[in-house]
Amino acid sequence: MTATGVIYERGDVLMRDGKIEAVAAKLDAPAGVSVLDVSGKTVTPGIIDTHSHIGVYASPGWTAHSDGNEMSGPTKPEVRAADGYWPQDPQIDLARAAGVTTMQILPGSANLIGGRSVVVRPVPGARSIDDAKFVGAPSGLKMACGENPKRVYGEKGGPVTRMGNMAGFRTAFQKATEYRRKHEHHRAHADDEDAGPPPERDLGMETLAGVLAGDILVHNHCYRADEMLGMLALADEFGFEIRSFHHAVEAYKIADRLAEAGVSASVWADWWGFKAEAFDTTRANAAILSAAGARAIIHSDSAQGIQRLNQEAAKAKAAGERAGLNISEDEALRWVTANAAWALGIHETTGTLEPGKMADVVVWSGDPLSVYTRTEKVYMEGALVFDRDDPDAHHTDFEVGIPSAAGDVQ
Amino acid sequence: MRLASLFLMVFVWLSAGSSAAAELSFDDRSEGPRVAIVGATVHDGTGAVLEDAVVELQGARIVRVGTGAPSAGAKIIDAKGKIVTPGLIAASTTLGLVEIGMEGSTRDTSRNGEDPIRAGYDASMAVNANSTLLAVQAIDGVTTAATTPQGGLLSGQVAWIDLLPGHHRDIVARPRVAVAGGLGQRVAGSRAAAFAQLVEVLDDARFYRSRKSAFDRRASRDLAAHRLDLDALGPVLGRTIPLVLEAHRASDILAAIELAKAQSLRVTIVGATQGWQVADALAEAKIPVIVHPSTNLPGSFDRVGARLDNAAKLHAAGVTVGIAVLGEAHNVRNVTQEAGIAIANGLPREVALRGVTHTIASAYGMEADYGSLAPGKVANVVIWPADPFELSTVPEAVYIRGTSIALRSRQTELRDRYIERLGVR
Repeated sequence: MTATGVIYERGDVLMRDGKIEAVAAKLDAPAGVSVLDVSGKTVTPGIIDTHSHIGVYASPGWTAHSDGNEMSGPTKPEVRAADGYWPQDPQIDLARAAGVTTMQILPGSANLIGGRSVVVRPVPGARSIDDAKFVGAPSGLKMACGENPKRVYGEKGGPVTRMGNMAGFRTAFQKATEYRRKHEHHRAHADDEDAGPPPERDLGMETLAGVLAGDILVHNHCYRADEMLGMLALADEFGFEIRSFHHAVEAYKIADRLAEAGVSASVWADWWGFKAEAFDTTRANAAILSAAGARAIIHSDSAQGIQRLNQEAAKAKAAGERAGLNISEDEALRWVTANAAWALGIHETTGTLEPGKMADVVVWSGDPLSVYTRTEKVYMEGALVFDRDDPDAHHTDFEVGIPSAAGDVQ
Repeated sequence: MRLASLFLMVFVWLSAGSSAAAELSFDDRSEGPRVAIVGATVHDGTGAVLEDAVVELQGARIVRVGTGAPSAGAKIIDAKGKIVTPGLIAASTTLGLVEIGMEGSTRDTSRNGEDPIRAGYDASMAVNANSTLLAVQAIDGVTTAATTPQGGLLSGQVAWIDLLPGHHRDIVARPRVAVAGGLGQRVAGSRAAAFAQLVEVLDDARFYRSRKSAFDRRASRDLAAHRLDLDALGPVLGRTIPLVLEAHRASDILAAIELAKAQSLRVTIVGATQGWQVADALAEAKIPVIVHPSTNLPGSFDRVGARLDNAAKLHAAGVTVGIAVLGEAHNVRNVTQEAGIAIANGLPREVALRGVTHTIASAYGMEADYGSLAPGKVANVVIWPADPFELSTVPEAVYIRGTSIALRSRQTELRDRYIERLGVR
């Protein structure tokens, strides 16, 4: 299953030097290439999650491991998830074993502007974020609408209301617009005799200026349809784009508008009801988005959910069918691969099985949309990083020496 | 009103005061027209499978499960090639007690306050038959729930409900079927303190039980809990209802086993993340365990060693294993996915089906009326077009107390409203 619209009932994939070299119904293995016979199995691109807090909200969920929300103020564009990422989080192993080859680690949603995200590989043996970073992935910026910032700051100086939320975004982007103008002006006149010293650098404003320049992709936690449309208007007002609405429980209500705007929606298959803005859900959310021509993504926001994004896509597909919307297997797979790659700005390099793409590949025991299917082998850039024949080969340091943490007890 | 039903109501009213009413709260006689579900493969919930079977319902009860011709006059439901199972039962859920998790005004999941002893909190008094969550679960095959208070050391009394939206008067099939609580660091930041307090309360409940009149005359020593909490523990001490304890760490599970033995209680353990590490002890004590199969994160030190094959390992050791989506309400429908995950990780298929039906009923002492397809059981029956646990399968028909429910929920209605508005179908 290539996630390009083509499914080979019997197919071959040639991987060389970390890249996919060829995909076809039948390939002849060039000399010197080792052959892995996976007859009867299913091969897909690696799973990509646009929304994870692995590493910044590590397991065990100790207070000491709470590194995902810089709740010292509602606007924190200067912080970076990369600086909170703990590469020994055992959840990393579980994601990799489940076929996840790329995940976006986001700051939490306490803040209106939560900081920069980082796109990582759940690689074994990483000793710092630099070992795990997806090389070449653009930066992302986490923003959050709705209840969370209101709740967190309601008694800490605000925002108290959705009005306050929007005012907070406007204030920040107005400041960033002026910051950017000042710096651009200086750059344009840097050679002038009376140019003077450059304006002071502000790390937060630099991030927002990067958004305005289109270099940093906006990932906007936003549940309600009216708020998403409000954010699209705000982005338009300041001249930036939103790459993906996250959670987007009501995305189906504005599927036409999202399609028109070219904004993706990262949704759950069926999480709902834990707060008011998550009340109006339907399991057919992704299917309705696809049917309307919008770019749908199934995300996890959970170290449990990330381990079965394929199953979540299967549920969302089934819900579409229950509603009379036909979703192809390829489309359901794109929800957790190609479309997610697009949201992260890495669709040129991963997310499908196509020549030239990174060899991020999963071999499944069967149909990845079945509840009974498990991963057998997971490859990142051609390297075997998980093998069901030796599932405990790679563990983070956390499991070392804890009786029964990973294996059998005596 | 017919005399018979008046009589029944009086009877129910009388029995409501007793702590372990064996009766159900609704009119459960087998009267009226029969419905015969014909031709399906029937998985009866206990492990037995019948091909080309007949399941007949009358009133709120199942009256026949077998093979051969349907009874004369029965309304025939053709289920050839389909799969028929008992309605799935959601264990240890807050279904009926909560609408929107973070909105306190919609939440009756626990008796708040400092006192961790809340055995008297009776969930049956808080169940909301208007909850939109009920239909969401029911149309995916969950017909019944063990609605369970949360929090504290002893959280309260479990209500056994059938998922019948709008049935204000009789949604609770039986109140107070169990007392729920948990072990672990629940009192004074210490599991040792929690255990000591639990033992003290049980001892005092036993003391109170035998000296109620002295207590009422204020001629008793001080007791460790409120009268309502002590009263609620009576049927637990009398072994008429189980004590359902959530425990995750191996040491807590062993403590629960010890408690069951020392106090001669019927105990069901819920959660049991490290259950596989003490599986033999659980098997020996014949304590049923209800697990949440997908939970494999070492989310705390109490859960280090969480594994996807916990259910399979417990079963292999001889433990009776139930399956649930624990501690929540909105998506207990995903119990089918959980069963599938347990199977994918080694649990035999029929054990998984039993684990979401009969095992749950018996873990709450409700197996005489629920959890299997047999004459005399409540007619909670699901017709599936294919494997119930596969992600692509949704029920074709769901019978609750003998009535085929409309396969609609607030979620499907919102869905259809916007599919129509956007013109995408």
